[in-house]
Amino acid sequence: MFEHDDDIVERMIRQLRRPVSLDPGLAARVMGEIAAPAHPGIGRTWPWLAAAAAVLGAVVIAHPWTRGSGTSTAAFQFVLVAPQAASVSLVGDFNDWDPARSPMRTAQGVWATVVPLAPGRYRYAFLVNGVEWRADPGAPAAKDDEFDTPSSVVTVGGRGS
Amino acid sequence: MIVAALLLAVQVIAQNPRLERLDPDTRSAVTIVVDSARGAGLPVEPLIQRALEGTSKGAAGARIVAAVRRLAADLGAARVALGTGASTPELEAGVAALRAGATPQVIAHLRDVRRPPLTIALSVLADLVASGVPADSAATAVLALAPKARDADLVEFRRAVEHDIALGAPPGAATSVRVNAGADFANSPSSPGTVPRPRRP
Repeated sequence: MFEHDDDIVERMIRQLRRPVSLDPGLAARVMGEIAAPAHPGIGRTWPWLAAAAAVLGAVVIAHPWTRGSGTSTAAFQFVLVAPQAASVSLVGDFNDWDPARSPMRTAQGVWATVVPLAPGRYRYAFLVNGVEWRADPGAPAAKDDEFDTPSSVVTVGGRGS
Repeated sequence: MIVAALLLAVQVIAQNPRLERLDPDTRSAVTIVVDSARGAGLPVEPLIQRALEGTSKGAAGARIVAAVRRLAADLGAARVALGTGASTPELEAGVAALRAGATPQVIAHLRDVRRPPLTIALSVLADLVASGVPADSAATAVLALAPKARDADLVEFRRAVEHDIALGAPPGAATSVRVNAGADFANSPSSPGTVPRPRRP
C-alpha cells in the first residue's frame, strides 16, 4: 500500500516538474481581463483567469511613460488571488504605506490595481481585510523585514533621482 | 519650556508632515535620524518610508527608530561602496545587496564593470540571495553577467533561477547553470549586450 502511494507521489512530482511553456501574450491577456470591469464572460473564464493570475503573482510591467519632471515612470499591475477576502489594499514605499491610497478592485476573487512607479527598489505588501499582511507570492521576498510581517520587493530599472 | 517643545513639534511636522502618523516620541527620534542623514547628504525618503512601514504594521516605536537608524547607516555604507554619484535607487539597491551578504568589494567591482544605473544588477543580486542562492554564488553570477547583460536580461536571469529552484534545483547549481548559458550568449560577437532567454531544463 505504501509503495503504491509512493508511486502516486512520484508520478505527481514528475508531472509538477515538467517544463511549462506559456504563451508570451498570456500576461497581457490576463491583465486585460482583470482590468476590464464587469466583463460579460468573467464567470465563464474565472477558473482559467484565477489559475493564470496565481501563476503570474503580481507585477506586470505595462506602459512606460515620462512625467513632467523627466523621470521615467512605468505602470505596474499588482495582483493577488484572495477569493475569501472582503478587502485588499496595496501598501508600500510608493504610497507611504497608507492602505487608503491603493485599494484593490476585485473580479471574482482576483484583486488588482495599477500603480505608476519611477525607477527604484520598493518594498510592499498586501493588507487583507485590514488586518492580515501578505507578501506577494509572485515576487521576491523582502528578507530584511524588521517588523515581523511579510513583505515583497519590486525593482524598477532606469535612471532615478 | 512647554512652548519650546510645542514649537519643536510643530517644526518637526512641518518638515515631514507624513511623520505625523508616528507617536510624538518616535517622531522626534526618527526626525533626528532623518535630519542627520540629510545633513550627510544621504537620501531621506527611504528613511521616512521605513518609519511609515513600521507604524502601519503596528511596530513599537523603539523598533521603528532602530530600523530607521540601521537603514541610515546602511545607506551610508552603500554610498561608500557605490560612490557619491550614486542615485537614491542605486543606494537602496546597494543596501539590499549589502544586507544580502555582498561585500563592499563586490559592489565596487560591479561599479567598475557595468555602466550605471546599477539598481537592477544590485537588486537581482539581493533577490537571488533571498531565493536561497548563497551570497558568493549570487555575486559571482551577477558580476559575470554584468558587463554585457541588459537590465531586462538580468531580471529574466533571476526569474529563470527562481523557476529552477521552485522545480527543485539546488539554488547554487541553478545559478551556475543559468549563468553559464547567459555568459556563452553574452560573449557572442553577433549579439552584443544581450543574454539569451534561458532554456527550460
